[in-house]
Amino acid sequence: MIKLDKVDKVFPGTTVPAVDQVSFQVDEGNICVFVGPSGCGKTTILRMINRLVEPTGGDIYIKGQKVSDKGVNPDYLRREIGYVIQQIGLMPHRTIEQNVALVPRLLKWPEDKIKPRVKHLLEMVGLEPDEVAQKYPHQLSGGMMQRVGVARALAADPPIMLMDEPFGAVDPIVRGRLQDEFLRLQKEMKKTICFVTHDINEAIKMGDHIVIMNKGRLVQHGTPMEILSNPADEFVKDLIGSDREIKLLELTRSEEIVEHTDEIPEVVNKKDCFIQAIDPVQRALETMMKKDSDLVGVRDGESFIGTISWEDIKKHINRISGDQA
Amino acid sequence: MELFGGSTGWFAGFYDEYLGFVSFIIRRWDQVIEYTFNHFSLVLTVMFFSLVLWISVGLLISRYEKLANTAFGIGNILFVIPSISLFGIFITIPMLGLGRTSAALALILYAMMPMVRNVYRGIKSVEWPIIEAGRGMGMSPLQILFQIQIPMAWPVIFAGIRVTVVMITGIATVATYIGERNLGRFIHHGIARESADMIIAGAVLVSIIAVLLDFILGKIEFKITSPGLRREQDQN
Repeated sequence: MIKLDKVDKVFPGTTVPAVDQVSFQVDEGNICVFVGPSGCGKTTILRMINRLVEPTGGDIYIKGQKVSDKGVNPDYLRREIGYVIQQIGLMPHRTIEQNVALVPRLLKWPEDKIKPRVKHLLEMVGLEPDEVAQKYPHQLSGGMMQRVGVARALAADPPIMLMDEPFGAVDPIVRGRLQDEFLRLQKEMKKTICFVTHDINEAIKMGDHIVIMNKGRLVQHGTPMEILSNPADEFVKDLIGSDREIKLLELTRSEEIVEHTDEIPEVVNKKDCFIQAIDPVQRALETMMKKDSDLVGVRDGESFIGTISWEDIKKHINRISGDQA
Repeated sequence: MELFGGSTGWFAGFYDEYLGFVSFIIRRWDQVIEYTFNHFSLVLTVMFFSLVLWISVGLLISRYEKLANTAFGIGNILFVIPSISLFGIFITIPMLGLGRTSAALALILYAMMPMVRNVYRGIKSVEWPIIEAGRGMGMSPLQILFQIQIPMAWPVIFAGIRVTVVMITGIATVATYIGERNLGRFIHHGIARESADMIIAGAVLVSIIAVLLDFILGKIEFKITSPGLRREQDQN
């Protein structure tokens, strides 16, 4: 869906490239997260995709079409691509309704189509249309503004979204909630999303695919599981942090390591120690500690499918993290 | 204490002492009307051309940054030329001579500094993320200018317009020396004849015009500035 081919960017007045020979591909319906320290070039890549920045070398393709083609008007290109930035950038002199309706108006939608669309979008991002539509941005809380920012980007139903630290300006609790809600939305929307963050935890949580950047170079890319279980070098290891194993447990579903059996062990039943098959293994660990048990039962819906023991989890960690500790 | 206690009553004394200019205005009513009208029409003419010209220049230099310092330099130089000599310079130009054209031109030049500077400052005061979001949504540079930058810059632009109006109304009095028959004439003649009533009458009428124009502009500003930009009032 989106393809970068040896893309370079050297900003005028500098010699060190901000983006250096970066190639990768984002598949349709996937969230691809760019992660790395500030100044690593992740935002520049994002801004090159919708041509807010022009690359100095290489090519970028969207659905096979080169974005730098002469026939592509950058303004029209951007109207087809949702864009969310950390600072949100709502127009303070316009109402929330006018802000959300920005792109549909640019695309000259008929007015009678815009109003219901705005209402629908505000509901979709968890806002009460009657309450907020006629308000101005400064009357909203930070979390509400970020929601409006997402609604505005989704307004014309673009197949592609570019999100630059979209939940960066709110406190961690609100951020977690916004992430969850966005993932739920994405399940239905199936947009192709490029997502920039400096937070590896956010990357692991949001990404179908992660691209790790450092000093303009692509260091490693792959699924969160691939990256966690097989970090390419010290830089990636540092970025992931010392709690790599815990993060792995968050990413593994219990059903992946369950020991299948039909019989419910006595101890599990007595201590009422059960989890669901789709729960992360981390949940199994939590449940063990809470119920003071070495064994948890795993259910798929109502039916019992097997158990996970403390030993199973240890074995799993050793296997995927590749450490023979 | 004598002031308020004379045999004619305190008000009469007060009136003679401080409000003599009122009787002057009543006595010379026809002239007051004529001068006030001339004063008004000069200020309005100057403001009309200043708005068209200096707002355009302000917008232009906000787009072409390199011109900005040159424009500010010219504006500052014009602004520090004493008004009487600027009027003087204009009447020596053959096509212009004494009269309204010279007066208007000089005042338009005075208006350059406060207006150009405020238009530029207002446009530049729009924060980067808002412009970035506009571009990212696919707005063209002209759409960004007319739908984001100008509406958001209104309060600052208006501050410039209001300062300019008050200033022009004041400086216009000096144009009386190059033949304008406006309220400056009362002040000018008042000085020559050592008549305080005359000077005060001129000054008060000029002040009233300035305050009135400022008040009207304030109302217009309130009307066309988006409520979303009036944060302070909202929070009270």
